Amino acid sequence: MDSSLLSRVSDLENQVNYSKPGEDHLMIAGLATFGFVANKTTNTYQGESSVSKTNSLADADNYEFSPMFLWRHGNKFLMEFEPSLNNDQVSVNWAEVSYFAAPGLILNAGYLVITFGIYPKRLAAGWIDKLATDPFGVAGSPPTTDYGIEAEGGWQAGTMKFSYDVSLTNGMQLLPDGELQGATITDNNNNKLLTGRLGWLPFSNSSLELGVSGLTGKVGDQGSALQNVTANMYAFDMDLVENIQPFQLNIKGQYNIMNLSNANYIDPNDPTGNTKYTFTNHSTTGFIQASLRPTLSNNNVVKNFEIAGRYGNYTTPANSMWGSKSNVLTCGLDYWITWRTVVKFTYEAIKSTNTSAINLGGTPGAINQSNSMYLQTSIQL
Amino acid sequence: MKILINKKIKILLALGLVVSTLVELNSCTASKKIEAKSGAQLWAENCQRCHNTPSPSTFSPEQWKTIGMHMQTRALLTDKEIDKIVAFLSQ
Repeated sequence: MDSSLLSRVSDLENQVNYSKPGEDHLMIAGLATFGFVANKTTNTYQGESSVSKTNSLADADNYEFSPMFLWRHGNKFLMEFEPSLNNDQVSVNWAEVSYFAAPGLILNAGYLVITFGIYPKRLAAGWIDKLATDPFGVAGSPPTTDYGIEAEGGWQAGTMKFSYDVSLTNGMQLLPDGELQGATITDNNNNKLLTGRLGWLPFSNSSLELGVSGLTGKVGDQGSALQNVTANMYAFDMDLVENIQPFQLNIKGQYNIMNLSNANYIDPNDPTGNTKYTFTNHSTTGFIQASLRPTLSNNNVVKNFEIAGRYGNYTTPANSMWGSKSNVLTCGLDYWITWRTVVKFTYEAIKSTNTSAINLGGTPGAINQSNSMYLQTSIQL
Repeated sequence: MKILINKKIKILLALGLVVSTLVELNSCTASKKIEAKSGAQLWAENCQRCHNTPSPSTFSPEQWKTIGMHMQTRALLTDKEIDKIVAFLSQ
């Protein structure tokens, strides 16, 4: 056989071998969000008001760059890592290993996004959220990332579907003034936080999902006076998508109820640390959001517009140091450049009434009115 | 306190009973309609629950396989659903 032909065949074989997919695959996805925000804040207390105005191109509220590394190892393992430039620092959104153990059973371990409600794990990404801001309170209360293990999955039951998610994590940390903060890599006690969610999709076209979540665990530092304080939290969520010619209607909502058992907290105004105070450590937060897009319109420009509106509230414990009651109205108009690239114009009004304890240096009755306008672009990479 | 815990356990048991009854009743119906769904139909129904439906041309078949696993951890789709959706997107 002609040596040049053999050489050509050999080259082709090498090319084929090179292009074989193999068992592993590494890719980078992620998102970037950039925008402009103008804000006017009015503070009113005991009849006196002060006003401040700001505008900014990129600040903590409207800039994020988060490359997501997805590393598939065969058909059973997936490693995910999402660092993020946000809030003027590089942080990690999540870093976990998933093992696809069996149909309807995925085991995860690492730094997880805890499934408490539907928003943090599924709807928070800038290119998914229809509005430029997160729902006030819901996005970070309670903290939604933690170190631990998790089992999750979904299964078909006739025409309905169910999903479950159970995690065991280090848990949150209770601060001496009664506030909760997210976990650090060093656990603050020997107790673990148990979180679970059950999702139910009653219709065969998966258009409606209803979810209920629960969370329980001790949150006080080991050996401290607060070591037996327990957090018990519940969340209810819903997600409805209906195509009503020529529109697509999206309604999403979540309501969190957060309770901590009674405790005596340390008054930070007393340098000796001997003065204690107590309050009912009960918080609630929720939102309901609707959006409408004429996805089935024949007009190629009109079909890319979407309007969205959201009402939210966030109530933190009265007579605590950070007690307040907030109502939030948000509305917006989006334009979808592609299925994963959006330009959002959002207006948000937040009215917060202070309910903190006056004997702790609080200013009960003070009103904070914040009005913001956002122009934001978000892209999924 | 003990009474409260007992009440919670009863509520959980009642919820469990309601859910399992619903599952049992619903499972009695042979769901050929579900089994017959194509990848395209499942793609249209499930992706839009959270975000716009992705264009198949966005990623390569290998990438769709990886993204499919990622999406399964997020949306908790069944194995059959994700297999059909990935096959459709990989065409």
